[in-house]
Order: sequence, then C-alpha cells, then structure tokens
Amino acid sequence: MFIDHVLSVIRAHPDREAIIWHDRVYTFRWLEESISKWSGFLEDNAVARGSVVSLEADFSPDSIALLLALIARACVVVPLTASVETKKTEFREIAQVETIVRADGEHPEVSHTGLEVTHALLLEVRARNHPGLVLFSSGSTGKSKGALHDLVPLLEKFTSPRPALRAISFLLFDHIGGFNTLLYSLSNAGCIVTVTSRLPDAVCAAIAKHRVQLLPTSPTFINLLLVSEAYRRHDLSSLELVTYGTEPMHESTLRRFHELYPRIRLQQTYGLSEVGILRSRSRASDSLWVRIGGDGYETRVVDDMLEIKAKSAMLGYLNAPSPFTEDGWFKTYDVVQVDGEDFRILGRKSELINVGGEKVYPAEVESVLCTMPGVQSVTVRGEPNPITGQIVTARVKLDNSEPLSAFRKRMFEHCKNALPRFKIPQKVVIVSEDMHGERFKTVRSSSS
Amino acid sequence: MLGGSQAQALQVVDLIVESILQIKDETGLTVPSRLQADTALLGTEGFLDSMALVTLVVALEQNIEEKFGVSVQLADAHALSQEHSPYSTIYALAEYALLRMQTD
Repeated sequence: MFIDHVLSVIRAHPDREAIIWHDRVYTFRWLEESISKWSGFLEDNAVARGSVVSLEADFSPDSIALLLALIARACVVVPLTASVETKKTEFREIAQVETIVRADGEHPEVSHTGLEVTHALLLEVRARNHPGLVLFSSGSTGKSKGALHDLVPLLEKFTSPRPALRAISFLLFDHIGGFNTLLYSLSNAGCIVTVTSRLPDAVCAAIAKHRVQLLPTSPTFINLLLVSEAYRRHDLSSLELVTYGTEPMHESTLRRFHELYPRIRLQQTYGLSEVGILRSRSRASDSLWVRIGGDGYETRVVDDMLEIKAKSAMLGYLNAPSPFTEDGWFKTYDVVQVDGEDFRILGRKSELINVGGEKVYPAEVESVLCTMPGVQSVTVRGEPNPITGQIVTARVKLDNSEPLSAFRKRMFEHCKNALPRFKIPQKVVIVSEDMHGERFKTVRSSSS
Repeated sequence: MLGGSQAQALQVVDLIVESILQIKDETGLTVPSRLQADTALLGTEGFLDSMALVTLVVALEQNIEEKFGVSVQLADAHALSQEHSPYSTIYALAEYALLRMQTD
C-alpha cells in the first residue's frame, strides 16, 4: 500500500524506459517484475516487516527495485553508498540497523546484525506501521547527523503529477536530492539515466547519448563543467533544465553558464535532509533570487536566518538534539536576504567571516576569484586571528604551478575593483588536491 | 631579550623589508621610502592599519617557512600579550619572529 501510487504509474507505462544503467535500458514492466522478485527475496531471507534495513548500493535497476520492495514492507530504509564507506559501521550503529542488504555486487546479499532497536524515534515509526527513511547529512560543516523520516508524508508530495523527464541520477542514492530525483521520476513515468562517473566528461557523454533533459546537480559541479570545458566535447542540445542546490551558487558561475546556454533553464533548489526538497522558482536563469515553498511548506526569517515548517519534516535526528523550535520550525542557519517573496541565500551562519567588524561570506569572494584565469577551484574560509578577529583565507587549485607571490599580485589586481579591501583574502594557500567530497559539495568547515 | 644574535635578527629584518615590498607590489600599499630596523609599523608613526598588518604577518609567516623551513605563528594571543608590542617597529617584529622560530 505504501508504494501504491508509484506502482500505478509503473503499471500504466509498461513499455516506457524507466532506468538506463551501463547503457542498457530497463522498462517499467521490468521494474514491476523486479519489485515482485525482490519482495520474494526479502521474504525468503527473513527480512522482517518494519525492520531497520540498510540498503548498501548506488543507483542501479536492482537497488531501485529493492528500495521500493523494502518500502512496501514498511521497513525503515537506510541507504548507504560507497561514498560513506569509511563511516558505514558508525552509521549502521546510529540507525540501529537490524539487517544489511548489500546490493552493489553481482547478487544482493543479506546479513542480520543482531542489533536491537531501542531508539524512541525508530520505535515511533514502527508503532505507526509506516515505512521510514534515514538520511545522513554530508558532515561538510561538522559531524554527520542521521535524519529519520516517516515515509508516508514524504511520499505524499510525489502524488501530484509533474512532467516526465529524462534525468541524470547525479545526486547520490543516499542523499535527499537523489531520493527526490528518483521518486519524482518514477512517480511521473520519467527515465533515470545513471552514470558510472560523476566527472564532467562522463556526465556530458551520458546526456548526449541518452538525450537527457534534466540535470539535477551542485554549483561545484557546474563550475567544474565550465572549467574543464567538457561541454565543448559533447552534444548537450537535449538538456532543458539544470537544477542546482546543496550549497551557495556563485553569481559568476551562473552568469557564465547562462551565457553559454541561454535556452537551458537554470533553477535553484532548496532542500535539506531534515525537511525534504521544497518547490522553488528562480527569478531568472541568471539570478540568485529564488522563491521557495510549495504545498506543505512554510518559510520565515528570524535573525536574518531562514526557518522552515514542513509537513514532511523528519521525526528528528537519531544522534543529535532536536533542531526544531518550540513551535515546530526548523532552523536552517542559512543567512538570507529578502526581497518581496524572494530570497537570496548568502551562506551558512557558521561560514560568516568577521574581519575587523566587517562581514563577508565565502561565496561572494569565491565568486570573484573563480573567474581568475588559471584558477581551477577556490575555497574561502575564515581563520582566527587576534588582530582582526578573523581573516579571509583562500585555498586555490591552479591549472599550472605559479609562485605564490605572483598569484597574490594577480589576485589583488583582479579583485581590487570587484571587492572592498577587507574581502580580498589576506591569506592565500595554493593546494594541489580537490576540495570537494564525493557529493560534489565544497568542503569548507572553518578552523577554530 | 632572549636568544638569537644580532646578525640573525638583522636577517629577519631583511626578510620583513622584503615582505613589505612584496605587499606594496601586490596591493599598492603606501610605504615609507626608507625601510629600516627602526621604522615604525603600527601606532601613531606607523604606516600599517590592522588589515595591512595582518597581511604582512601572513606574508612573513609564509616567507619564514619558505626561507628557514620553520612554521611560526606571529599573530596570536601570545604576541598580543607582550609588554612591548612586537608590531611597533620592524626590529621589534624581527626579534619576536626569531623568538618564535626558536621556541615553536
């Protein structure tokens, strides 16, 4: 009963392409049969109804079918991809996983952990007889937090019909964005095109080969796409919509992409593991101003920070105190500017840099620095300094090696008309490693 | 003062002057035509504001690391709690840097 809506869509379009994996096509008919098959498999392997089950896989036809079968079985599903390999043991403990389903090899394997479920929130979902979902935040600003959702209200959102699109499953299987893309696609008889690599050329090749219309991605990836010029080497004419979220977008990146592809709609998304993905509408493709909300969501701004009230909000964190206010609002700690009904997200409060009393957000400095010739990527953060409180430190990855002093001089020239003096990094470090994690989200936790 | 010969201190003075000229080149900072050991950095006779001082300290730390292979912190609570500010003159900064290079 929990996947009734998705099943009805699946049954209505048996011959449509549902999933493309390793360049092979899997139809909705295949998916329906697969869900049945895996339901039997779960039964045969003593995966109890309502149990907490980790599903360890990335997007694949089997993992998708298993996910749906587990939901139908009212299990609390804990998706875990290879990107969190080193944290799996910790995450399984936090979520009190009773059964592990490994589905990233030839044949799915089931093992039982012997762990007992004692957490009040997990017991609550069980008492409701509802399926659940546990998502771990990326931990890019601290420790990873496990958010537990009751899937019934979360799945409600997908019953309103939307256009069917061919979309890349860029966002990970264990990420709220990835889950959202998947359910959206299945609920509207769209097609999920999986990719073996999330590097720009591989993604562009998949877009060209499978005539993909939608790319849900992150600002870091779009920047990489521009810097690598992968877009020159592949035919992206099928692309209609690129959505971006998970971190602040640099205005310069947005403008550059829009200039290259004026016909592709660029749409900012806003969502969190804790409340799901909100509906959003950017003012324009090259604008950072966005309206967010939609059915079941309310927004308000308190102390310049965005707060959200969601019908589909999580029950709570499994390993952290409740982030909700007394009146049920979720504090995002995202600092925003407001203009009428639109918001402009400046950055997380924790990223704010205070230099001698003047405030600056990493994104605004990065936006200027990343347009410097020879700069592959840049991350800005604050560092403590007793003279001014904090200083602005830029970590830069360059195309070619360059002496630090030469770069600093170039940087100052480049920035002097675009930024007030205090925003120009007082410290520069040239790095050679990539600064984003597997989720293509720039890591910028500040040192203090 | 503790540790370091005058010769060593003067080496660091040279490095500080070099760092100042670097910053002048990079940022267009206005600096006195003569830069020597007794040139004032901060204070009523100094030519640095807090932003420029921070930039100088960062540049000096990076230059010290490059030249002497030693990683030092020249802007921390310790520096600010000295009886005589290490940022008052070029020589004061040199002495303080030498002290940190020997103890860090």
